[in-house]
Formats: sequence, C-alpha cells, structure tokens
Amino acid sequence: MKINKKQKFAIVAGAAVIIIVFIIWLINGGYVFTQTQVLIEKKDPLFGTTYKQWKNKFIPGLDLTLVVTFISLVISAVLFYLFRNKRKDLNEDSK
Amino acid sequence: MKIVNKLIFFTLIYSAVALPQGFNVKAKGSQTFYFQDDKGRNQATFHSITALDEVDGMSNKISGQISFDISDVKSTLKGEISITTASLKTGISMRDRDLKEPKWLDAESYPTISFTIKKVINVKQLAPNKLDVKVLGDFNLHGVTNEIPVDATMIYLDQSPATEAREPGDLLGVTAKFPITLSKYNIKNMILGTRVADKINIDVNIVGTNKPQNTN
Repeated sequence: MKINKKQKFAIVAGAAVIIIVFIIWLINGGYVFTQTQVLIEKKDPLFGTTYKQWKNKFIPGLDLTLVVTFISLVISAVLFYLFRNKRKDLNEDSK
Repeated sequence: MKIVNKLIFFTLIYSAVALPQGFNVKAKGSQTFYFQDDKGRNQATFHSITALDEVDGMSNKISGQISFDISDVKSTLKGEISITTASLKTGISMRDRDLKEPKWLDAESYPTISFTIKKVINVKQLAPNKLDVKVLGDFNLHGVTNEIPVDATMIYLDQSPATEAREPGDLLGVTAKFPITLSKYNIKNMILGTRVADKINIDVNIVGTNKPQNTN
C-alpha cells in the first residue's frame, strides 16, 4: 500500500502528539494517576520543624496520558482514512 | 582496687540518677497535653513507594493526649494519639474512596487508627526543652494491634507571647517517624506490593496544649 503526503502527515502528527504527551507525563514524575493536589512542605517557625500542606496542582498521570494517546490514535486513523487516494473511485466514475 | 571499683560503681549510679530524663523548663510537675486541633495544623502523613507508583497521603483529624512529669519523662510518659481513618486523603478523590473500602482500611468497621504509648525505651536530651525519645507502643490499624518502636522528638515551649499567638498554655510539639507493614495488619489485596508498598513510612507532626479550649 502506498501512502500519500497527507497520510504521512496524519501519522507523523499523531506520533508527535503521543511522544509529547509521554514526555510531559515523564517530566511530571511518571505517576500512574492524575493528581489535582500535592503535598508541599512548610516551615513551622515556632518549633523549627517542617509540616505538609495540600496545594492545588495538576499533575497528569498515566491514565490521562493513555486517554490522550488513544484519542490521538483515533484521530490519526480517521485522517489517514480520509486522506486516502481516491483515484480508483474516479476511474470507476469515468466508466 | 576496691576503692576504684567503688568509685566506678558510684559514678554509674550517680550518672543514672543525675542524667536528665526530662525537660528543663519553667513548668514543673505533671502535665497533660491535648492534641485536638480544629485548625487542621496537626497531621499524620504516609508515604508509599513502589516501582510503579508513589503515593502520599495525609490526615489532619488527630486527637488524643499525652501526659508526663516534666522532670521524669522516661518513667511517666503515657498517652494515646489517634486519627480518623475516613479523614485520610491522597490528592486523588477516587483513590481516597478506595482507601476507605473493606479491602483496604475499612473505615466503616475501623473508624480510627491509634498509637498507645506503653513504655519509654530511651530518652536523650538534645536541649533543655527538647528530647529525643524512643517509645514502645501499640499501633492499632484495621482492627489489628502490633507492638512497634517509635522514634520521636518532643519540644516543650513554656507559655509566651509567641505560643499564645497559636494556642493558650504551654505547647508540646511532637514529631515522630516510623514504618509499618500493611500485611501485618491484615491488609492484603492484589495491588499491595505492586502499586502500593507493603511497608509504609509514617510521619507525625503534632502540637498540643496543656490548656485546651475544647477537649471533646
């Protein structure tokens, strides 16, 4: 099967999105689940100890990464199909 | 030779008696500190790490009390600290729900997790108001009680304008670190050991007052 330029673009764009999403996931700690809160350390000036507090922070996990990967694959596949060569159909029409 | 032996004997006896086993602060006598904290500053955190996942959690619903004699913490320290099982949070609401389910901590059947001091093994004075203590106590989780050693640091602050800004009365700050093994508390499921470690590290950081406004 020969693929055209547009189909190549669909594959490359899809792969690029997947690679970028996985890089973002790894940079953010490679967690399994997406987190919306993280524990941060705070200093207690009275006792000189550290304690922790929740802070709202979005950290994408593997769950979200896989969802984006799946969506990206579906879009790429649809585009790949839509960008297929239609020469055969044209030939049939001319007959 | 007999004199040398006697000297060594009396030196040992004197050291045992004279070495500080308690705080050297303004306050005297027996004290009881209450750790009920409506502001949510007191906390117990846990940390689990496996090859697949890292989980941090925390509870701010801490209650309990500790009492001791200022000059003799080693032989008088007693008390219990507990947390509400349902108050544990991990930053992911779905995981928080799972944590309370019967296959994990079963918050409905076992609403509290507690530690009761049984015996002080060692006291080391780091400063007049700061002690390192090693205690042996009963840790109760998921309906199972195991005796575990806990290393803790206690800081005693006499009442002052600085402490009053936080709470009335003298303040006692306690930090403790200890590991627990979940399988020893009858917590066994497929995820244990893969996504959640069997050995969990617990950190406690609490501040109590001897003049509580509300001990309920």
